[in-house]
Order: sequence, then structure tokens, then C-alpha cells
Amino acid sequence: MNLPLNMSEAELIIPELIMLAGLIAIILIPNFGDASFRIPLSRMKVPILIGGNRFKLTSNPKLPNRVSLAIFSTAFFFALMQTTYGKVGDTLEVTPFSRLFTLIFTAALILATIATTHRIPARANLNAPKDSDSENVATKKINALIDNRRQVDFHIILIMVGLGMSLMSMATHLFMLFVCIELASLSSYILVAFHKESKVGGEAGMKYFIVGSVASAIGIYGMSMLYLWNGDLSLDALALAWIESETVDPIAGIAVGLMLVAFGFKVGAAPFHLAAPDAYSGASSPVAGLLATASKAMGFVALMRILITVTMPESGEAFWFTTIAIIAVVTMTWGNLAALTSTNPKRILAYSSVSHAGYMLAGLAAIGSGLASEEAMKLILTAIVFHLAVLVVFKFGAFLVLSLLETEGRSHELKDLHGLARREPLIAGSMFLFMLSLAGVPPLSGFLSKFLMINGIVNVSAGTGTSDVSSVMDWVTSVEPVFWLAFAIVLNSALSMFYYLRIGLVMFFEEPENNKPMKDALSLRIAIAFCALFTVIIGIGPLSDSLLQMAADAIDSFISN
Amino acid sequence: MGETKNEYRLLLPLLPFLAIVPLLSLQSDSSPTDFAWLIVVAPFIMFPIILITGQVYNKNETWKNTWKEGGILGLAALSVSLSTTIWIVYDYLIGHADIQENTVASWLEWISFDVLQSDYTISQNRILGVDVWVDSLTLMLLFVATFLCFLICWFAIGYMTTDPINEDSNHRFFAEFVLFSLGMFGMVLADNFLWLFIFWEVMGLCSYLLIGFYYWKESAAAAAKKAFLTTRVGDVFLMIGLLILYDIYGSLDFAVVFDDPSTGIGGAVVESSQLFWALMMLFIGAVGKSAQFPLHVWLPDAMEGPTPVSALIHAATMVNAGLYLVARLMPFVDVHHHGVAGLEDFGLIVAWIGGITAFMAASIAFVQNDIKKVLAYSTMSQLAYIFTGLGSALYFLNTGDHHAGYFVLGASLFHLFNHAMAKGMLFMASGSVIHEVHHAHDHLHHGSDHGDHDFDPQDMRNMGGLASKMPVTSTAMMFGSMSIIGIPLIGGFWSKEGIIAETWAAYFHGETMMLGPALLILATAGMTGFYMSRMWFMTFAGQPKSDVIDHVHESTPWIKEPLLILTLITAIGGFALAILGVVDFLSNESQHLSLHGHSLTEQIIHELEHAFLPEDSKLRLVGWTTILLSFVIGPVMAARIHGGQLKEGQSANIFVGWLVKLSGKLGTQDVTWLAESQLAEALDKRLYFDDLYEGIISRTVIPFAEFSAWFDKNVIDGIIKQVESNSVLGSVQIRKVTTGSARDYILMATVGALCIFALLVGVNA
Repeated sequence: MNLPLNMSEAELIIPELIMLAGLIAIILIPNFGDASFRIPLSRMKVPILIGGNRFKLTSNPKLPNRVSLAIFSTAFFFALMQTTYGKVGDTLEVTPFSRLFTLIFTAALILATIATTHRIPARANLNAPKDSDSENVATKKINALIDNRRQVDFHIILIMVGLGMSLMSMATHLFMLFVCIELASLSSYILVAFHKESKVGGEAGMKYFIVGSVASAIGIYGMSMLYLWNGDLSLDALALAWIESETVDPIAGIAVGLMLVAFGFKVGAAPFHLAAPDAYSGASSPVAGLLATASKAMGFVALMRILITVTMPESGEAFWFTTIAIIAVVTMTWGNLAALTSTNPKRILAYSSVSHAGYMLAGLAAIGSGLASEEAMKLILTAIVFHLAVLVVFKFGAFLVLSLLETEGRSHELKDLHGLARREPLIAGSMFLFMLSLAGVPPLSGFLSKFLMINGIVNVSAGTGTSDVSSVMDWVTSVEPVFWLAFAIVLNSALSMFYYLRIGLVMFFEEPENNKPMKDALSLRIAIAFCALFTVIIGIGPLSDSLLQMAADAIDSFISN
Repeated sequence: MGETKNEYRLLLPLLPFLAIVPLLSLQSDSSPTDFAWLIVVAPFIMFPIILITGQVYNKNETWKNTWKEGGILGLAALSVSLSTTIWIVYDYLIGHADIQENTVASWLEWISFDVLQSDYTISQNRILGVDVWVDSLTLMLLFVATFLCFLICWFAIGYMTTDPINEDSNHRFFAEFVLFSLGMFGMVLADNFLWLFIFWEVMGLCSYLLIGFYYWKESAAAAAKKAFLTTRVGDVFLMIGLLILYDIYGSLDFAVVFDDPSTGIGGAVVESSQLFWALMMLFIGAVGKSAQFPLHVWLPDAMEGPTPVSALIHAATMVNAGLYLVARLMPFVDVHHHGVAGLEDFGLIVAWIGGITAFMAASIAFVQNDIKKVLAYSTMSQLAYIFTGLGSALYFLNTGDHHAGYFVLGASLFHLFNHAMAKGMLFMASGSVIHEVHHAHDHLHHGSDHGDHDFDPQDMRNMGGLASKMPVTSTAMMFGSMSIIGIPLIGGFWSKEGIIAETWAAYFHGETMMLGPALLILATAGMTGFYMSRMWFMTFAGQPKSDVIDHVHESTPWIKEPLLILTLITAIGGFALAILGVVDFLSNESQHLSLHGHSLTEQIIHELEHAFLPEDSKLRLVGWTTILLSFVIGPVMAARIHGGQLKEGQSANIFVGWLVKLSGKLGTQDVTWLAESQLAEALDKRLYFDDLYEGIISRTVIPFAEFSAWFDKNVIDGIIKQVESNSVLGSVQIRKVTTGSARDYILMATVGALCIFALLVGVNA
């Protein structure tokens, strides 16, 4: 028998296999029942388990959530423990790079699952509404029943997102890469529109889907042109062909440009980010958190593959340098400016996420300048990967706080955060910590990643300016443009403080609408506390060293490909 | 006034904390220095815990009675620090670790980065992190700091939680107390000047917060501000000094700077004039922190804080930071070890500042009636002694006489040790007196309106005859005063003798400029004898001067234990350490505390000979003059003026009883004419320094401050407001693009795609 996967290869992708098995299990388990099959012409009954009266234990609506949590946790654990790496088939390769991203994705999914426990609560022993119920009560009961019913749906999609993303980070073939991205993206569109009975949810999901599919279509068109040019879409072959061609072939150049549109949409780069704030504010907070962390990380993996692995020349400036640099500056400025006057905390976080994409794009642009030494390039890439990893902690942490607010049906207005410090001092303190980390205040983890990034970019531009000039303008022009990317990041960081601190301001100094503490969502609170703790200890201390080391190893494996 | 209740059972939560160090030492093979971070981290963790728990459980009974509003938690953190310190010190004393090798133990490495020079080249890789620097100076000060922080925290539990004025705010006290401790420990352990400065500022902040603990009292708030601003003047200079140092050496790490102070960055020869200014700036910082002339004005006012704060910050630990800094500077001038020659003037300036402060503070102390103020001036005066000693050490080391230099350095640091122990105890004892007098007064006038509201429990004119009422306190205060005065064989005698002798030795060496400080501190020795004795006799001897005194009992728990421990240390610790050669140890001359191969008796005789019968006849004269002044003339005068028998039927314990009786036999002397003279009034007004400063400040600083305020409000704020309003405008505009219509989004995406093409084609064409 010819198995599609031999054992040694299967060992490499245990986390993905777990997710796959979980996908099947989560469909099967709730349907277990006492159905049996009577062998014809006999009285013997063989239990077939599927169907019939469902068992009480497995039909508990809370079960899918638990299963999903267990799946992601084991996947996370196995990804963390993995020490062997290698190729799986022709189109996948497990490297430290892909494993780090699997960790990022599963960590985000774990947090999303925990938050969903309270965001879409499942309750056992619900009754159908009776005729005597008033309309209000009946609607409530029906909604609760619907929430129970769609537990499985939600978690199936969540697992598909995880599977798509995780496979995507291992893809060594552009086509595989695209298919996996689409698996994750299509699933996430559904997640955005999951609360279809609310108007904003459906609308946001629809918009996100339309703009996303346009971007994907453009990207696939670009990919087909790339195929036309080379005839082979594996990353190695493309990179080889790129180096061999003396000048940039117009077809290849246009193809890469088209793909930038698709991936630019995924990372939320201007001007392709416009649907993102709508999607974030329409989606439930756990899903928005997923979009802001895991989905963005996925986009950056794709961008890094196409920009660094394939089209980065051995020496000299990459042809996309100016483009990406301009996109980077526009993206960060746009994101920060738009966030300034926003009054919806989710939109603020969405725009902040846009500006963070700009910072990371600036790092990529600095590499594209061709001035970077091997070391500086590694430093910048490490900073990007590290930033994507720590984002899970504090960006998702902020969305978890919003999830907690959403359990009482709020979080669409800044005033829902008013006086949070008085109602929930610890939650408000954590939220403030997340904001500071997003703004990049030392010694939090957000500072470390931003610092490494700026350090890397300045490092690239070092040695270009001269100090013996007579006027400021002489100096300005003598400095390599890359330096101004770092400068733009610094200026934008200053701008961003304005809205990050405003959230702190309203939490601590405004009067709350009511003084009651919030719902007792214990696991969500624990998750928030964990995020707050990690925001600090990944910023300073031995854990930050080991995570940085992991990121550096990941980049080593990424570059050597 | 209930019976003294034993509250030792409340200490049970300390047990797991005390177990940490023994467990670590059993488990780990590495040197205890590797765990030095525990000393700082323990209070660092406890600080927010106390603050937050206190905020949440403020009025809770358990929190109040069992946890003493955070006091027990603070004590637990400090017990970790103390036990770690003892572990490290023990390791050095038994000779496991080598004291002459400064140990730099890596503690925490945060981020490493490259430095972009002003000429836009990357220079070198820098690591931002914290290391720990351990040498004998560190060890001594670390022990003093952790030990006294622990004891004073213990004392504060009794003092603070039984005072109704502190109702519900003690968690704030203990949190700030613990934060202060971490600042002090961190400063002592820091391995470079920058971290030293950072922790220095942490202490400054805590000093401000704790002086202003009773912030609703106007005088306390003003005192806190005064202390903060005055030390800030010094800190600005300190920072300038650090910048000059960085300019010279390109680093602020002790390891780099002290490796070879005569070569600067890139192998350049260090100019003595440049280094002189760096050291002077650092010294001004030290002057501010240690309340020396002319930045001394804040310390007496700082007594507005709770008494444990005075004991801890303004006597035993923080004010020593300046001394520590100056002692740290020794390698710069030590020509024997690559130091830079030609810096004798720096030593002379240090010695002069010390001499002037010593004399001035002692003379002001003559007329103070507030028991804490006397101690405050005494602190200034004693710190000034140490400065004089350090000045002589700087002088000797720079002129090449390193034996004398090391000796006086060791003696100065030994005096620091003795003074910290004695003064910490004296403040706690004064706290005990104030606390009990205050209680007695409240008790006496409880519920009556005609009570004497102007009664000041700190005024010694309301006391007298307390020796029989407060046996432990009076004994502690007697030994403490003896140590400060320098009564032969007790505590401070051993160190003070060395400082005075070596300062004179510098003069005899031919440095005529040393005559001034030498004369000043010699005179101060006698004055110290007078004002310390005056304080003791006014408080404890003679007839009670108010009816409150009859009702005083020494009954508050938690207060006596620290006093007893410190009394023991003051009484015999100085002698014991002197015999063990602590002076050589502190100046890094010898490795360990030991008898140096002699028998105990030999060593005792050697030390006594050294102290009382030095070979040099001139020094012998100086020594005996000191003893005469401080032991005989000062105390006898004080006893004649303020001493006297106790009330009929009262008797004091055997330690202090003889002194009271003696003072009664010496007769009395009337000094009203002197007390009413102009000199006394000038001293009472603190020699008009405060008025002078206020005059200068209101004419110079305040107009400048008003201009700054105007500039800030109009120019800087104006620019920021402009930026803000423009940003908001831009924000509103840019958000108009987000229309909410998917069609527009696709349009924008198309425009973006076209732009990408234009850029790709345009740039590459």
C-alpha cells in the first residue's frame, strides 16, 4: 500500500495532523448516540454510535469549545517540542521558521477559543420558548439556543483557520501557499460574519469578503503571470530564475506587483486596508483579535517569502524598495492619523494594527535597500518575527479586554471603557499595559520589538551621513533615505501615543456609567492576566532572550532556504 | 495603656522567606554573589503587593492586626534581603570569595544594541543590563543598609500602627519604605555610575514621599519640597559630573573606569584638570545628598517625616549615599594604582567642606530643643567628620602616601558604620520617647477640652527624668550618645580617633591648608560631647518638667527589640571590629576580618596602644586633646547645666543610674546670659542660611521659573496644540476615505495597484 505520507514525514507535521484529527472529531463527537444496526435475519444489534439518542456527555453544547481548546493546546505543545525538521512531500517544509509561526497561530487561536467561551456562551439544559413567554423572553431563549447550536460551526471554522495558516507557513510552493492562505481567509470571512443576525456583522463580513476576493483574484492573476514567466512556482526555482535573469523581466515585475496587492490586503497595508476597520468592528472581539494577530502574521509570511526569498537580489537594491518604502510610510501615517479621532475602540485597535504593519513594512523596505549587511538583515527580520509573536500577547490581550466588555453587550464606543479602572482595576491596569506595549514603552515587549526594528534600520543606514556639513539640508540629503524610514517610525510612534494614552485616560479618569463589576468570566480573566504577565516578561528577562533566540533561529532557517 | 503584648506570633509568615537563602545555599554550588539580585528584587516585588493589597483591604481587621497593614510583608521582603546579604558577607569573611578582586556578577542582560556615533558610524555593541559590583565597601554598606532597614521596619510596625494619626495610610508608608530600601540596595550594588544615579534618584523620590507622609500638614509638604529641590541641585551637578566622566572614559562602568583611571577613551592620557571638574561635580551631588554645607538646609526640616523615616533615610542609610559616592572615587586619585596625580586640591576641598559643616552643625545643635532636630544636626556633623576623613584619604592617596590614605579611608568607612548603627538607634530611641510622651499626653488629657493643645511631644523642655520611666530607651540612648561623642572604648571612638589623627597628620606632613579642617573637627569633638550629653540629660535626668512625664510607660510592642540589638552592637561592636582589623578590611588592605595571627590579648593591647599611645608624639597630643574635649569637658558642662537627680522615689537601672547620680553631684551652672545672647539667637535661626537662600531664590530662581512657565504655556504648548489640531484635522480628512462602501474600497485598492505599477515602472525604467 502506498501511503501518501510516510511515518517520518508524519512525525514532522504532528500539530497539523492533530488539527486535522480534531476537525473530524469535533464533527463526530457531538453526534455520538446509541444508534445501532440490526444484522439482517438475526436479532443481533451492532452499535454504530453515530445517530440515535445522543449521549448526554458528548452532546453537551460546551463540549466543542473544550475540544477545540484541547486541540490547539496540544498542537501548540507539539509545535513547541518539535526538534526535527525536514521536507514533507514536494510542497511543504517544516523549519524552525514555520514552527515559530505555528506557535504564533495556535497561541492566537487558544486565546480566541478562551474568549469565545464567554463571547458565544453555551449553556446546557436550555428549554425551548413556551407560548406563554413574552416576545422578549422568547427571543432571548431562541438566541441562547442558536448559540448552543452553532458552537460546533464556530469551532470547525476556527480549526480550519489554524490548519490553513499553519500549513501556509510551511509551504515552499507558491501555489500551495496561496491555497492555504485562501483556506484560512475564507474561513475568517465567515468568522467575521458569524453573528449574521446582527446587521454590522453580516455587512462587515460581506465587505471583507468582497474586497478580499478582489485582492485574491489580483494576486492569483499575478501568480499566473509568474507561472507564465518561469513555468515553475516552487520558491526555490523562482529564486534561482530571479537571480539568473540580469534585469527584472517586465512580466515578473508586474506579477510581483500584483501579488503585493493580495498580500498587502492580508497585512493591512494602505490603501488596501480600508475594509479592515469595518471588519474588526463588525466581528466579535475574539475574531478581530485573530485578524489582527494571526492573519497579519500570515500575510507577513507571504510577503517575506515573495520579497525576501524570491525577489531579493544577491547585492544591490531590490526593484521593489521604493514602492515598499512609500507604502510603509503611507501605511503607518494613515493608520495613526485615522486612529486619532476614532471613537470605537475596536477601530482604534484596527488602525493601530495598520500602523504596526507600516512599521514592519519599513523594516522590509530597509532590507530592500540592498545596503543591509547579512547581520543587519537578520536583525530586522528577527525584529519583524519577534514583533508578530509578541503582538499575540498584547494586541490580543487588548481584544480580550474588549471581549470582556462585549459580554455585557458593549465595546463599540470609547465611553464603554470609561471608568473601567474603578469597576475593574486589574482589567483596566492590564489594558493600560497593553496600550503602553503597543505604543512601545520600555520595558514592555512592544518596546523591545520596535527598538530592534529601529536599531536594525538605523544600522542599515549607518555610515552614510556625514557630520562635517555646513547646513542641515546638506546633512539631510547626505543621509541614506533608509534612515528616514526609522525617523518616520519614531515620529509615528509619538503620534500614536496620543490615542493609546487616551484609552488609558478614559479608563482611569472618567466616570463610569455604572459601578458594578463585570461578568465573572473567570477563564477570560485568567487569559487577560496571562497576557499582561507575558507583556512584561517577554519584554525583559530571560524569557525575552529565549523568544528572541527562537526568532533568530527561525530567521536563520528562513534565510538559508 | 494596656500591658505590653507579645506579638511575635505575627512573625510566622516570615519563616518561608527566611528559608529561601538557606535552601538556595544548600541547593546551589554557585557563589552567593550570583544571588545578589535577590536583595533588590525581593523589595521590588513586595512594593506593589503591599500597595495594592493595602488599597484593596484597607479597613480589613486581619490586614490591620495580623499583617500590620503591610508591615509584616515589608519585613518579609527585607528579611530576604538581609539574609542574602549575610550569606554574601559571610562568604567573604570566611574567605571563600576574594575581597581584593572586585566581583562583577552578571544579573540581567536586557538588550544589546549598537551605538550610532555623531559621525554616523556604528561604534560598538552596548548591552543594557544590570550587573552587581561587590567589594568591601559594597559589603559594609550593604550590611548596614539591609540590617538597619530590617530593624527600622520592625520598629516602624510598632511605631506607625499604634499611632491613630496614621489611620488607614500605613500601607502607603510600608510600600514607600520598601521602595526606598530597594533604591538603597540597588545603589550600593550598582556596577556603574548610571545605575548608581538611577537608584540614587529612587531614594530621592522616596525621601520626598516619606518626608511628606503627613502631606496634609503644610509644614511637612513644604519640608518635602525643600528636601527634594535642595538635593536636586546636587543631582544636577552629579549628572554633569557623570557626563564629563563619560566624555573622558567613554563608559560609566566601574570595571572600565577603575581599570586604569589615567587612560581615557582610546588610550588618551587623562588631564587632571578635566578629571578634577568631574570629581567636583560628583562631590556636589554627594554634598546635596549627605546634607553638607552649603546644601545642608533640607535635613533639619526633613524631620517632619515620621520618626522611623528619620531613622532610616535621614540618619542611617540615604545620607550615607554621598559618602559612598565619594569613597567610590578613591581609585581616581590613588596614584599607587594608576590614579591621576595632581588632584590634592580635591581632597582639600572635601576636607574643608567637612570641617565647616561639622563645626557649624554642632554649634547649631547647641540651642535646639527639639529632640529630633538635635539628632539631625548631629547627623550632619558626624557625616561631615566622615567627609573630612575621606578628604584626607583623597589627599594622602593623591600625594602617594597610600598607607596613611588607606588607613584614614578605612577609618572613615568604619565611622560610617558606627555612626549609622548608633544614629539609627538614637532616632528610634527618640521615636520611642516621642511616641510614649505623646501617648501619655493623650491619655492624660483624654476627653478634656482644656487640654494643652500646644504641647509638643518632641520638645525636650517638656521632658526630664525619663530615665526611670524608660529603662530600655534611656540605656540605648546613652550608648548611642557615647558612640557619637566618642567615649573611649565605645563604638565611634575607634573610628573618630583615626579620622582626627590622620587629618592632623596631613597637616604635620606639611600641608598647611589642612590645619583648618583639622582644627574645626577637633573643636567639634568637644562640642559633640556637649550637645549629645545635653540632649541626654535634658531628656532623662533631672526633675520632670511637665506633668505628662509621670504617665509615661515604655509599653508599645515592636519598639524595644531593635533598640536592644543596636545597643549591643554599639556598645561592643566597635571594639570587636576594631580588634578584628576592620579598618584594613574596609580599605581593601586586608582580605578578611581576623586577628592577623595574633592572640586576642595581643591584638587588644595592640589596638589600645594604637589608639591611646601612638608613636608620634604630636599625634599622641592630638589624641589626648580629643579625649579630654569630648569625654570630659563637653559632657561635664552639659551635666552641670542640664543634669540632676531624679524625682524622689524614682530610680533608673544600673546602666544609666550612675550617670544620673553623677550629674546630680556635679552641681549646677546658670547659663541664661549665654542663652539670651545674640549668638544663641543666630544659632537658633540656623545662622540665617534659610533666609539667605530664600532671598536669593526669590530674586533669581522665581523670576526665571515664571518665565519658564510662560514659555512652556505659550511657546511649547502652542506648538504642541498646533500639531495636535493639525493631526486631528488630517485625521478627520483621512477618515473620509473610509466611506463604508465596498465599492470605494475596491476603487482604492485599484488605485493602489496602479500606484504600485507606476512606482515599479517609474523607478526601474
